[in-house]
Amino acid sequence: MLPLTQDTAARAATGLPEPVRARIEHGAALYEKMPMPDPRGEDWRYVELGMDLDDAALPEAPGAPMPGEGVVAAALGEVAGRALSVDGFTVEASGDGLQALHDAGAAAWEAAGRAGIPADLDRFAAAHHAFGRDGVRVDVPAGTAVGAPYLIEVQAVTPGSLVLPRIVVAAGDGAEAAVVVHYRSPDGVALTAVPHVEVGGGANARVSVTVVQTWGDQTTAISQHHHVAGRDGAVELAETGLGGRFARLHLTVDLDGPGADARVLGLYFGDRQQTLDYRAFVNHNAPNTTSDMFLKGAVGDTARSVFTGLIRIEPAGQKTNAHQTNRNLVLSDGAEAHSVPNLEILANDVRCGHGSAVGPLDAEQRYYLMSRGLDRAAADRLQVKGFFEEVLTRYRHQQLEPPLRQAAMAKYAGIIGGSAT
Amino acid sequence: MSGPALSITGLQAGLGELQILKGVDLEVPFGEVHALMGPNGSGKSTLCHVLMGKPEYHASGSARVGGTDVLGLPVDERARLGLFEAFQYPVEVPGVTLDDLMGEIAQAAGSGDGFGDRMAAAVAELGMDRFLERPVNEGLSGGEKKRSEIFQLMSMAPKVAILDEIDSGLDIDAVREVAAAVEAMRSPALGVLLITHYSRILRYVTPDRVHVMMAGRIVRSGGPELAEELEAKGYDAIAADLGIDLSEPEDDDGADFLAGL
Repeated sequence: MLPLTQDTAARAATGLPEPVRARIEHGAALYEKMPMPDPRGEDWRYVELGMDLDDAALPEAPGAPMPGEGVVAAALGEVAGRALSVDGFTVEASGDGLQALHDAGAAAWEAAGRAGIPADLDRFAAAHHAFGRDGVRVDVPAGTAVGAPYLIEVQAVTPGSLVLPRIVVAAGDGAEAAVVVHYRSPDGVALTAVPHVEVGGGANARVSVTVVQTWGDQTTAISQHHHVAGRDGAVELAETGLGGRFARLHLTVDLDGPGADARVLGLYFGDRQQTLDYRAFVNHNAPNTTSDMFLKGAVGDTARSVFTGLIRIEPAGQKTNAHQTNRNLVLSDGAEAHSVPNLEILANDVRCGHGSAVGPLDAEQRYYLMSRGLDRAAADRLQVKGFFEEVLTRYRHQQLEPPLRQAAMAKYAGIIGGSAT
Repeated sequence: MSGPALSITGLQAGLGELQILKGVDLEVPFGEVHALMGPNGSGKSTLCHVLMGKPEYHASGSARVGGTDVLGLPVDERARLGLFEAFQYPVEVPGVTLDDLMGEIAQAAGSGDGFGDRMAAAVAELGMDRFLERPVNEGLSGGEKKRSEIFQLMSMAPKVAILDEIDSGLDIDAVREVAAAVEAMRSPALGVLLITHYSRILRYVTPDRVHVMMAGRIVRSGGPELAEELEAKGYDAIAADLGIDLSEPEDDDGADFLAGL
């Protein structure tokens, strides 16, 4: 493995097209300059990262893929294309419109429209620009509706590695596509993953991304997303966050065209010492735009979750209709959930709402259910199931519902077997 | 069946320092429907919650369901012993369909209980098909919620059914529907305690006995004619006859308020 130095970045750039080399050099310079995130800064409030990027190293080749079919691949059924990324290297890519970045020319490295994660977002973003050298690109031509979803499975397997997969989805005017991303790494293997997901849609384009995050229990994952919708276009992100030691989703949505719509769905469940950290920024930059964020999470044992959501409505965003909802169940005394919805409204004719809740299971529901003969454990399990059902039933790919429900309820079973109050 | 369905003796109960039930004695034999009437704050809802075992209440005395004292038992054990409470305000359970709930109830009841057959019959009788896939009590009208409670009651086939203000908030058609369901559930295996503030529902259900509760006690019991007397004279007159001051602060509203703290 290679240390995270300017020299490594330069070597990584060898043989890549000129614009990509420029991107790498810019990232490397920033990486060297930038400190690790300041835990006192607003962007990292409530969490303790507990790692230093300088301790990580860059794999020179992909490790062996994890054995067995992933739970998402098994449930998804027919796909329009499929890719497998291991340790940041795209080792398989097939399907119309889907290609590995290392195979493609310089054009494939270009951002999808305005979508792109700036290298100076934080040191993780800079590291991605400096050392990322592969990824998956999905191009959907104008006017094309792709029926089945693309499946991109992202694995990280090598101990101590920094894994930097990049996913770019570019949809032309009127194009429609769905992408499902599954993150996996083995339990017990300490490593860091910084995926970048960039989605750009033209006018009337509709792009949905469904993320299933089942990182292993020693993985630090800092996912950074940017989704951009054009005139009357729609972007959707549904994320299920289950794994990781520390797993963050930093999401920026830009509604650039009039009539653009964004939908963000989230289901997360933290147990043991996990930290699940959601930072969502939805920007209404044009009139008549709409957004709906709906995230529900649970924490047990000594896990911690954070949701901070900011809806920002620019002066141009008249007639915006924006909502965010974040509800959290705290299942153990030692667990904590933070929920911080924010609005920043610079236009004067908008509809905005937010709801936020953090609390234990509802005692009235428990009493009602127990009055029907359910014992306390069954009553509480049913309530937890119902809590997540409100998210799951909104998921686009209904075939993912059963395994995701099962995974969430398995986490709940683990907690009630342990320290729940 | 031998012995009464429900037998309450010397029941005292309250919330924290607040004493609400001050010695209730009441017996509902199998096969009978009894009405428990009383003004707001007399302790009717408290009696329901204490019988079902709502955690925040403390209670002493005894309350036997089919001969077994349920005081001190967990809520679910009381349900499995044959006690059913139809809630005045059925609780919404987001994300859980009525069908999910019925499945869980069936599982809790155990196999060989005949639950499935009773449920199928109740679905047909009450027209519950269209409610099974909807979340429990969410977005239902007052009448639909009560119908859902009666549906669960009929499926569970309890020994004792306590219907807490089953007629509150219903229009006259819904009251008739509920009343018909109550008459239809009369059975030698069931005792019904119908709790109501108004005598309205008693035009459509003929109770075997009527009990009047005031200030935490049963102050009068009688036949169906007692409901008519109440209708004619009002609670105040009965209270005055008995020398009871109804302005006492111990009321259910206060209790609900405390329970919400």
